[in-house]
Amino acid sequence: MTPDPPPAQAGKRAALNARVEKIFDHTPDTRSLFLSLTSGKHLRFVPGQFISITIPLGDETRSRPYSIASDPEDRGSFEICFNRVAGGRGVGWLFERRVGDLLDFSGPFGAFTLDQAPAAELGFIAEGTAIAPIRPMLKRALASSPASKIHLIYAASDRDHVLYVAELDALARSTPNFSCEIVIATADRIYDRLFALAQARWVTDNADRTRHFYICGVGKGVIRLRDLLRGAGYERRSVHYEQW
Amino acid sequence: MQATATKICGRFHWLNGAHSLNYDLNPMAKLLIQFENGDPEKVIEFDPAKAPFHHDGKPGSILDVMLGHGVHLEHACGGNCACTTCHVIVKQGFNKLGESSEQEEDLLDKAPGLTPTSRLGCQAVIEDPDAEIVVVVPRYTINQVSEAAEE
Repeated sequence: MTPDPPPAQAGKRAALNARVEKIFDHTPDTRSLFLSLTSGKHLRFVPGQFISITIPLGDETRSRPYSIASDPEDRGSFEICFNRVAGGRGVGWLFERRVGDLLDFSGPFGAFTLDQAPAAELGFIAEGTAIAPIRPMLKRALASSPASKIHLIYAASDRDHVLYVAELDALARSTPNFSCEIVIATADRIYDRLFALAQARWVTDNADRTRHFYICGVGKGVIRLRDLLRGAGYERRSVHYEQW
Repeated sequence: MQATATKICGRFHWLNGAHSLNYDLNPMAKLLIQFENGDPEKVIEFDPAKAPFHHDGKPGSILDVMLGHGVHLEHACGGNCACTTCHVIVKQGFNKLGESSEQEEDLLDKAPGLTPTSRLGCQAVIEDPDAEIVVVVPRYTINQVSEAAEE
């Protein structure tokens, strides 16, 4: 490898500054930070987008993406949600932040978005903290397409890691067109379970191919789900996904 | 006085002290970067076999080569093929780049200013040591990041 470039080149362009307003621990290894712009203004974003946080690591800085888990309509702070990962120095730094600390970031970014729901049935698939971008997308879909059937399949490694479960449950109870399916599976089985459920719900027993899908998760399992749905005849541009 | 070497175009080094050419036996690929915002263009010569040059993007990708040689290119998602901020337009050498994946094509569909020779810098790998690639960094890629999204 060649020597690292000057840090000023690699880490520049942090355009915005935020303060940590609140910390919420979903579990010992999964946390939400609630951030507000130090300018006092409101962050404008589209459901599904992420911010790119500048993280100092030794003598250099790196930019790392974190999806916004809150709604654009929420005034005041916005939320990012993340979990500890083995060897994840960036997320380790985030876990060390305290209320009142400042963060530099740029954004929002991202093409995995849902601004106005299409006039079609919607399928959402998420795993673990990848519910973060799905959460505001889902709520935007429910608000902008109140008649369309919307189904979420959400998987986690155990019940504690099913995030926002009370909110999802309340939404399912109060919104007739929304249903939610929670899957608990060990990490090595999560995508097999998601694959089997998606196949059963939207491929094998149903000939409708007009649905739109929004998939978010970690690793190649996301691509398997994409290929399942596209291979079954859904329009390529109706199957949206973000692979972490 | 110790001679200092400054790399210039081609496969040789100009030695200030001796005023002589020192031919480099290793083949070197060349990446010329133009910026639509008017920033001065940059030329990078590198040995693709020595990738990775940085820690973001596919090893040997345009992003990896640029960052590893101190030339900035936005990569908001960390070079993980999850956004379009490293969108570049390839003006020369398009066929010398590694093939794009379906995931890259899906993202490029959503890139503003898409052209037939658009690529994501984090995914377009330069493997050919004789490649001479010319790319343009679009103006909106830069502006997209610099505009504060506040209201």
